[in-house]
Amino acid sequence: MPWEYNGKDKSGGGTGLQPPDLEAVIKKIKQRFGGKFPTKFPGGIGVVLLFLFIGWFATGFYIVGPDEQGVVQRFGKVVYTTNPGPHWHMPTPVETVLKPRVTQVKRLEIGFRSTSQATPSRYQAVPHESLMLTGDENIVDAQFIVQYLIKDPVNYLFNVADQEKTVRDAAEASMREVIGKSVIDEVLTVGKFKIQQEMKTLLQIILDRYQVGAAVVAVQLQDVHPPKAVIEAFKDVASAKENKIKLINESQGYQNDILPKAKGKATQMINQAMASKSEMINIAQGDAARFLSNLRGYKQAPSVTRKRMYLETMEKVLAKVDKIIIDQKVQQNLLPLLPIDPFRFKEQSAK
Amino acid sequence: MKNIRFIAIAGVIIVMVILSALFQVDQTQQALVLQLGKPIRVITEPGLNYKLPLLQQVMFFDRRLLVYDAAPAEIVTSDKKNLVVDNYAKWRIVDPLKFYQTVKNITGAQSRLADIIYSEFRVELGKETLNDIVSKVRTRIMETVTVNSNKAAADYGIEVMDVRVKRADLPVENERHVFSRMQAERQRQAKKYRSEGEEEAIKIRSQAEKERTILLAEAYRKSQEVRGEGEQKAIAVYAQAFQQDENFYNFYRSLQAYEKALVDKSTLVLGSGNEFFRFMNKAD
Repeated sequence: MPWEYNGKDKSGGGTGLQPPDLEAVIKKIKQRFGGKFPTKFPGGIGVVLLFLFIGWFATGFYIVGPDEQGVVQRFGKVVYTTNPGPHWHMPTPVETVLKPRVTQVKRLEIGFRSTSQATPSRYQAVPHESLMLTGDENIVDAQFIVQYLIKDPVNYLFNVADQEKTVRDAAEASMREVIGKSVIDEVLTVGKFKIQQEMKTLLQIILDRYQVGAAVVAVQLQDVHPPKAVIEAFKDVASAKENKIKLINESQGYQNDILPKAKGKATQMINQAMASKSEMINIAQGDAARFLSNLRGYKQAPSVTRKRMYLETMEKVLAKVDKIIIDQKVQQNLLPLLPIDPFRFKEQSAK
Repeated sequence: MKNIRFIAIAGVIIVMVILSALFQVDQTQQALVLQLGKPIRVITEPGLNYKLPLLQQVMFFDRRLLVYDAAPAEIVTSDKKNLVVDNYAKWRIVDPLKFYQTVKNITGAQSRLADIIYSEFRVELGKETLNDIVSKVRTRIMETVTVNSNKAAADYGIEVMDVRVKRADLPVENERHVFSRMQAERQRQAKKYRSEGEEEAIKIRSQAEKERTILLAEAYRKSQEVRGEGEQKAIAVYAQAFQQDENFYNFYRSLQAYEKALVDKSTLVLGSGNEFFRFMNKAD
């Protein structure tokens, strides 16, 4: 019953819904109609209509969020767009407003779907989207995401039906077109970046042709691998490559092992030869010098010296060796009896 | 009092009539105004419009770019291979009157588009080999199909803006062949890498062994040469010294030899007639 309350206590002022001057207006209206209207509504039908009008007027206020843009339609026709902040449009049904989120990056998953947002995120493969033919008639399994945002809200909202599907279809088409021009080895290894760039360019061209009003932010290849059926064979190639490198490294190791050793050995042989050459020459020269000195001494008294040298030498020689001296007279008879085997003889003598 | 009531009722009726005469065409729509079932006006611009109440009705059509997503269909290429083609078309209603007269609604339009596009694709893809379709002529085929479909669809008040191959893949049974071929190709590569590894390894090893042998042989030759030089010089030195008195050399060298050769472990059996014992038998 706020109406009655306000009616009774006019001085209540500021706390009520109506400002005091409005009260006066109502009174005036009442007076003009001379109290003919039923008094159930204080202030009469005029006040109700006024409030309805104000309420209706107020529905035109709207706030465009910082990530949004406002698009105002008058009787269905787009008339203008508004930037973030508070705005007013003529109330429905004259004007309506749509507020698409223009800064929000939308994400499309192609070839897979995330089944849970929690970490670790889980994925569900979608093979009919991800398997595609390469230019050399092989098949690769490529999963990728497309990120785009609304660059022209009017085009985005009104030009194309089913915007997300439009982007998705165009993305699939352009990915297959790009992959179809590449060969499998390129796709699987070095060509990833190039493919992403080409596909982004192509997708943007297609979308611009459709005037979707969407800008492609990024195309990212998530996972590109050979199809499951042949993945083992591909892995085997990789391990064969490793194996090749291993074999080469091992043999180079062998090479590094034997060659320095051989070089060392060669140098050793030459050094030894040089040493022995020098040794031989020096020995020869020494021997020769000694001989010549002896010869010079000998020549002064050949006969005596010869005897002396003979005796001195024999003295030394015979002092060291075991000797058996047999008299000349028995020599002839005894000789056959001697044990010739020197080893046996030695054993016996040792005993 | 009666007057007021009459005015109020009349007012309400007037408002209702005005409201039923006005209609709004959304930015996404276009409209066709029918008068007792007969099309009389096409409205392509969005905004507020009017019609005669009761006598005229309005039909709305989409003004946006629409999608026709075909079901994947198998098509035979010129090299007799099957290809599963999944395509979509982007189209819009450009002539609502013609559209309404010929296909009535979107469902009708899509079944016409299906016929047109499928047959265009069959013709164009049938001219090319599978490999060309996948890698080379895809863009050209899509453009040709778009142009031809657009011509054919014009009769229905439809513009075909773009026909695009979403997927052009092999049927499942052919896929298996491709997989086994891919597998064989990879196995071939793996084998190649393995035997290349062995080849390289053997080459490197034998090269190393060759170098080692040559190195050692050269060193042997050189060392023998050096030794020979040494020997030659030694021989010359000896000869030059010894030939000064060959007789003394024989004596001198023999004595040295005795001293060296007859060591502790030797046993000499000597006759007492030996020169050394000359004085053992007699004193003078």
